Amino acid sequence: MKWVTYAEHLHDLNIIKDLGSSEVILGHKDFSRFGHLNDESFEKMCTRAKELGLRVIFEWDILMTETIFKNCSHQISKFLGMFDVLRVQDPGALQWVIENTKHPVQFIAENGNHNLTGLKRWEEYIGGRLDRLVLSIELTRDSLKHYLSELQAPCEILGLGRVLLFYTPRHLLSPLLSEKVEINSSLAAVGESEESPHKGFPLVENKHGTFMFHMKDFCLLDHHSDLREFGLNTLRLDFRWSDLALLKEVKSLLSKSDESLFKQFKEIYPQDLMRGFYLVNKTDVLFPKLKNSRLQQREGNFLGEVIEVEKGEYLAIQVKNKKGIHLSDELKIIHPKGKEFVVKIYSLKNCASENIEFAPENSLCLIQFVGGVWVKSQVFLND
Amino acid sequence: MSSFIPEVLAPAGSLEKLKVAVLYGANAVYVGGQKFGLRTAAENFTLDELRDGVLFAHERNAKVYVVLNSFLHDRDLLELPDFIRFLEEIRVDAVIVSDLGVIESVKKFSNIPIHLSTQASSLNIESAKLWKMMGVSRIVLGREVSIADAGLIKKEAQIEIEMFIHGSMCMAYSGNCVISNFTQGRDSNRGGCAHSCRFEYSIDFKDLDVEKKKAYFMSSKDLEAVRLLPDFIDHKIDSLKIEGRMKSPLYAATMSRVYSEALSYYRSHGNFLSDDLVHWERELRKVSHRAYTQASLVHEAGADSIFNERENSDETEWAIAGTVLEVSPKAGIIIEVRNAFNIGDEIEIIPFKGEIIKLVINEMMDLMKRPVTRTKPTTLVCLPYDSRVLPLNLVRMRARG
Repeated sequence: MKWVTYAEHLHDLNIIKDLGSSEVILGHKDFSRFGHLNDESFEKMCTRAKELGLRVIFEWDILMTETIFKNCSHQISKFLGMFDVLRVQDPGALQWVIENTKHPVQFIAENGNHNLTGLKRWEEYIGGRLDRLVLSIELTRDSLKHYLSELQAPCEILGLGRVLLFYTPRHLLSPLLSEKVEINSSLAAVGESEESPHKGFPLVENKHGTFMFHMKDFCLLDHHSDLREFGLNTLRLDFRWSDLALLKEVKSLLSKSDESLFKQFKEIYPQDLMRGFYLVNKTDVLFPKLKNSRLQQREGNFLGEVIEVEKGEYLAIQVKNKKGIHLSDELKIIHPKGKEFVVKIYSLKNCASENIEFAPENSLCLIQFVGGVWVKSQVFLND
Repeated sequence: MSSFIPEVLAPAGSLEKLKVAVLYGANAVYVGGQKFGLRTAAENFTLDELRDGVLFAHERNAKVYVVLNSFLHDRDLLELPDFIRFLEEIRVDAVIVSDLGVIESVKKFSNIPIHLSTQASSLNIESAKLWKMMGVSRIVLGREVSIADAGLIKKEAQIEIEMFIHGSMCMAYSGNCVISNFTQGRDSNRGGCAHSCRFEYSIDFKDLDVEKKKAYFMSSKDLEAVRLLPDFIDHKIDSLKIEGRMKSPLYAATMSRVYSEALSYYRSHGNFLSDDLVHWERELRKVSHRAYTQASLVHEAGADSIFNERENSDETEWAIAGTVLEVSPKAGIIIEVRNAFNIGDEIEIIPFKGEIIKLVINEMMDLMKRPVTRTKPTTLVCLPYDSRVLPLNLVRMRARG
C-alpha cells in the first residue's frame, strides 16, 4: 500500500521524497480548493518534483459553473506538459480531461458514490485512462473490503486529515468583517453553535468559496493493516492544516502494527482524531423516528382519515379509497398513538346530515361517535 | 411572441398536495415514495397513492416525476428494482436520480426517462454531456448556475434543462454537505438533513483583531424569480421547479397558481406588464418564506443572498385558514379549519383560476347546523354556498399578530 500527500513548498518535496513516496499532489490556486501555488511557484514545484523523480498529480477538484469552467479549461493547457496525472471531481472536468488530454485520470468519487454499481460504471466509463478512484470516507470497513475486491482500478482513501463538511461557492465569512477583504486572499475562522452538540468547526473562505470542516481530523492509521490486506492501493495523508514534519511518525506507524506507536502519535497530533463511519455507518437508523409510522400505514384496506371528532355526536371521515365506506362496514380505526378501535357503522350521514348507505371516495361522511378516537386517526376496513 | 413556454413543476409531499398543485395549474409535480427520496420526514406516497396520483395528474394533462434522489447504498439498490418496475407499470413520466448506481438500475429494469437531480451538482456543459451519455434525458442544474449559462448548457449539450425558480435553497453545493452526517448521525444526502446551515454560529477570526461575530452566516435567503420569467423563456429552459415537498397545501396552491398564471399570461401577450408582476410578487409574499433573493440566476450570489436571521422569524402577513373539502347547495362550503377564524373576519378563497374570492364571514355553522362564532383548528365548519368555490380550494386570512 502506497501513501500520497500534498506539497505546498519546495522543501516539502524533499521530505516526501526522503520518506519514500513516488508521487505528490500539487494544488494550483485556480484549480484546487485549497491550493496556494501560483503559475510560477507551480512550475517550480513541478520542475523540482521531476528532478526528484516524483510523479506529479495535478489537483483540479473545484466544482465549476460554466464561466469558471471555461477559464480553467483554457488556462490548464499551459500546464499540461508539467504534470503526470490529473485528479478531478466535477464530472465536467472529467469529461473535458478525457476528451482533451492523454493524461491518466484520478477520479474523486468521495461524494454521492456509495454503491458498487455506480463505482463500477465510473470505472467502465473512464476505462484505461483511470489511474485511481478516490473513495468516500463514509464507507464502512465492510463496504471498503467488498469494493476493493470487486473494483479493477487502484483505489485511494483519506488516511489522515481534515473532514470537509460543507462547500459553497458563496463568500460567507468576509461579509462579517467591516473591512473589505481581497477576493484572492484566504480567511480562516472557527465556528461554534449552541444548536450543535459539537464546537469549534474550522472555517475557510478563499476565492473558491467557503468551506467548513469537522473539529476532529479523520484517521485510519490504526487500521492500516486492514486496508493493506483489503488491497487498498493508496492512503492519502493530508497535512495541509497540521505539519508535514509529522509524516515521519506516520511513516513509521505504517510500517508496523504497534498500538503504542499510535497512542504516541495521537498525543503529538495537533487535533483530536476520529475514524468516522469506518466501523459502522448508522446514519439512516433515525429515519423511521422522523415521522409517525402509524400515520404512514395507508396501504391495503385503508379507507380514510378522521378529520373531526365531535364528542358524543360523530366522527367525520374523509374517504380516501375507491372502495368508499358502506353502512354496516366494520372499521378498524388506528389512533395516532397506536391504539386500535373496531367499530361497526350503524349511522352513516353526509355533510348535509342526510342518512346515506354509501360514502364514495373523496367525500366526507359522518359516523357515530367513538370515544378515544382523535383527529388524524387512520380508518381501515376490518377484515 | 414566444411559442416556447416552460413547464411549471410543483412539489407534492402528499396526494392532497399533488391534487392541489395540479388543480392550481402545475404542469408537472414531483413526489416521493416511502423510500429512496430526500424528504424522510415528509408524508410521502404509498404505492396506492402513487397510482392514484399518476392517474389524477394524467387525466388533467400533468406529469408526475418520482424522486429517487437519495444517495443509495448497496442494500437500497437491492430493493430498488421492484419499485422501478412498479413505477413503470403505473406510467410515471420520469424519475429524478442523483447517482450513477441508480441510473444504471433504472436503465436495467425499465425505460422510464431519467432526470438528474440537483443533488449531483451538474454545473457546466461538459458535465451535462457526460450525464447525457450516462442515459439522463434532463438535468436539474445546480442552483449556482445562471439562466444564461443554463441556456448555453441546453444548446451545447442538447439536453432538457430544469432550474429552480422558487423556494428554500441549500447554501452548499447540493450533495456536497455532510454536516448532519458527522454531527447528528443523520445522513443529509439520504433524507436526514438537520438543517445545520440554519443555526446561529459564533465566528472567531482567530488571526484577526476583531471581536467574535454571531451570525446565521450559512443560511440562504429563499429563491424567488417571477421577474425573471422572460429570461427563462428566452433561454428556453424546459422546466421551472418549485422547491418544497414539506411545505403546506397553501404553498403548493399559491406557487402553482402564480407561476402558471404568469406563464399563461405571457403565452397570450408575449410580455409582462409591471402591474401584473407586482400582483404576482404580492401573491408570492402571502405564503410563509424567508427573505427572497434571485441567488445566482443573473449574477453570482453575493452577501445579500445570506438570510442571517433566526428561523421562524417569518413576517408573512397571511396564513392558511383551511381547505375546502366539499361544496354543495345543501351542505354549503365545508372547510377543514387549519387556523382559527371568527365571525366578522375577512378570508380569501383562492379559486383554481380567476379572481380571488374575498369574503367577510357573517354566518357559519358546524356540521350539525349549529351557529359557530369562533372556529378551532382541526374542526369542520360550513359557510353559505357559493358556486365559485370548489373542493380543494385553499382559504387564507391575515395572520393574527
